[in-house]
Amino acid sequence: MLVAWKYKFRNSFIDTFDPRARWIVSFLVLASVLNFWDFRFIIFFFALSMLQVKLTKLTWEETKRAWTFIIVLVVFIVGINAFVFGRGGPALLGDIEPHVFWERVILLPFGWSWTLNLTAEKTAFAITQIVRMLTVASLFFIIPWTMDPSLYGVTFGGMGLPYRFAFAMDLAFRFVPTLARDFQVTLDAQKARGFEIERLDGGVVATIRKVAPLLVPVVMNAIIAGEDIVNAMDLRCFGLKERTWIGKLTYQTRDYVLIAFGITLLVVSLVLNHVFGLGEFWVPQWLIDLAG
Amino acid sequence: MAAASADIKQNLWAFGTRQVVYAAIGAALYGVFSWATNFLALPAAGNISLRPAVAIPMFFGIAFGPVVGFFSGLVGNILGDFLSGWGFFWNWSLGNGIMGLIPGLMAAAVVSFRHQGTIIKAIVYVVVAVVAGMLFASLTSIPIDGIDMTTALVGYFWPAALSNIINGVILVPILMVAYDSVINRSGR
Repeated sequence: MLVAWKYKFRNSFIDTFDPRARWIVSFLVLASVLNFWDFRFIIFFFALSMLQVKLTKLTWEETKRAWTFIIVLVVFIVGINAFVFGRGGPALLGDIEPHVFWERVILLPFGWSWTLNLTAEKTAFAITQIVRMLTVASLFFIIPWTMDPSLYGVTFGGMGLPYRFAFAMDLAFRFVPTLARDFQVTLDAQKARGFEIERLDGGVVATIRKVAPLLVPVVMNAIIAGEDIVNAMDLRCFGLKERTWIGKLTYQTRDYVLIAFGITLLVVSLVLNHVFGLGEFWVPQWLIDLAG
Repeated sequence: MAAASADIKQNLWAFGTRQVVYAAIGAALYGVFSWATNFLALPAAGNISLRPAVAIPMFFGIAFGPVVGFFSGLVGNILGDFLSGWGFFWNWSLGNGIMGLIPGLMAAAVVSFRHQGTIIKAIVYVVVAVVAGMLFASLTSIPIDGIDMTTALVGYFWPAALSNIINGVILVPILMVAYDSVINRSGR
């Protein structure tokens, strides 16, 4: 089983930034966008998020799986849900006089009925929610493709995470190829004994139970092997004092500029929302007029 | 490995060399198994797939303490999503961390991993952990995704919690019994 990290160096504009600056700014932008339900503001953040994706030099081929996943989730689950049922948001739609495009009453058994309608407000809400979710998702989903896994330890260590946690994170990334190989060896061995992983059928419970012959040996072998790693690290006096990292990160001027931009964005968003009361849910007048 | 239990009994929240290594192993195992079992994805469950691997952070919590469980769940979920090409969903990863942390709270009270009472206790902790972890992830989706409580509970929480409880309740006891045999045989 070949484990391949999604990351590769693309010599893109985004690659020139310190990973710590990118994490900080991503969370600052997230905190900023959460202030708004007005499409006119959200579209700005969406453009910003798309600009970041564009600057990574990622191709559609590389990310189509993630995009498909996000779009299916956003459009079908949340979008249609909001569009048809009008659910979601900070109880926005319940307080607004609806402008109905279309309405149908569906008769149900026992004399019950269900009124299904499409309104200008639901339409505006669905579109706003879809764009807002796409913005948030695309802020972060690029990370596996654009951040070097070998730098996660030093990145989080540099962001204030205690040394041991940062080291554990680094170690976890390093263990993945070894454990994936163990998984493959165990899978082959179990198949040789008649284990048919391809026939994982017979209901959910049976399916899960059938995974045990694969899960147990790999986990137990890893635990036994871990004991040797603990001994080796203890013999090298791990934990007596903080150690340095092989990779070193240094903030450049551009990183400070990026962080300053993120902070400014958050401050402006907070002021617009909490001081000027801007950014609340907005329905375009033309959409209301369309409903008549 | 008996030393591991002694460490936990001394300090439930310790994060020494042993915990560093097992946290990393737990996270890597969770990531690899999540990725490898992606073909079991349940239809009609949105962004939630049937992952037998969720038993790993819960078991690591019980065996090595809450910090190891939390780390295994948090980082393991990130690794699994990275390997599978799903991207990065920090609130769901934190929810997975909680799923590993809560069973870890019983680590100091474990006498034998094969003991019936301990296994029943572990099952209870697993259920509570899944409910707490998935509730956290689902409820934080309300401000982030702009969904309402009904969608968060019916569309996000319920399918994820149900799937994870079934996985945890079946696989965690199996792993505990296997681990007990490993401890007895290792003689360390």
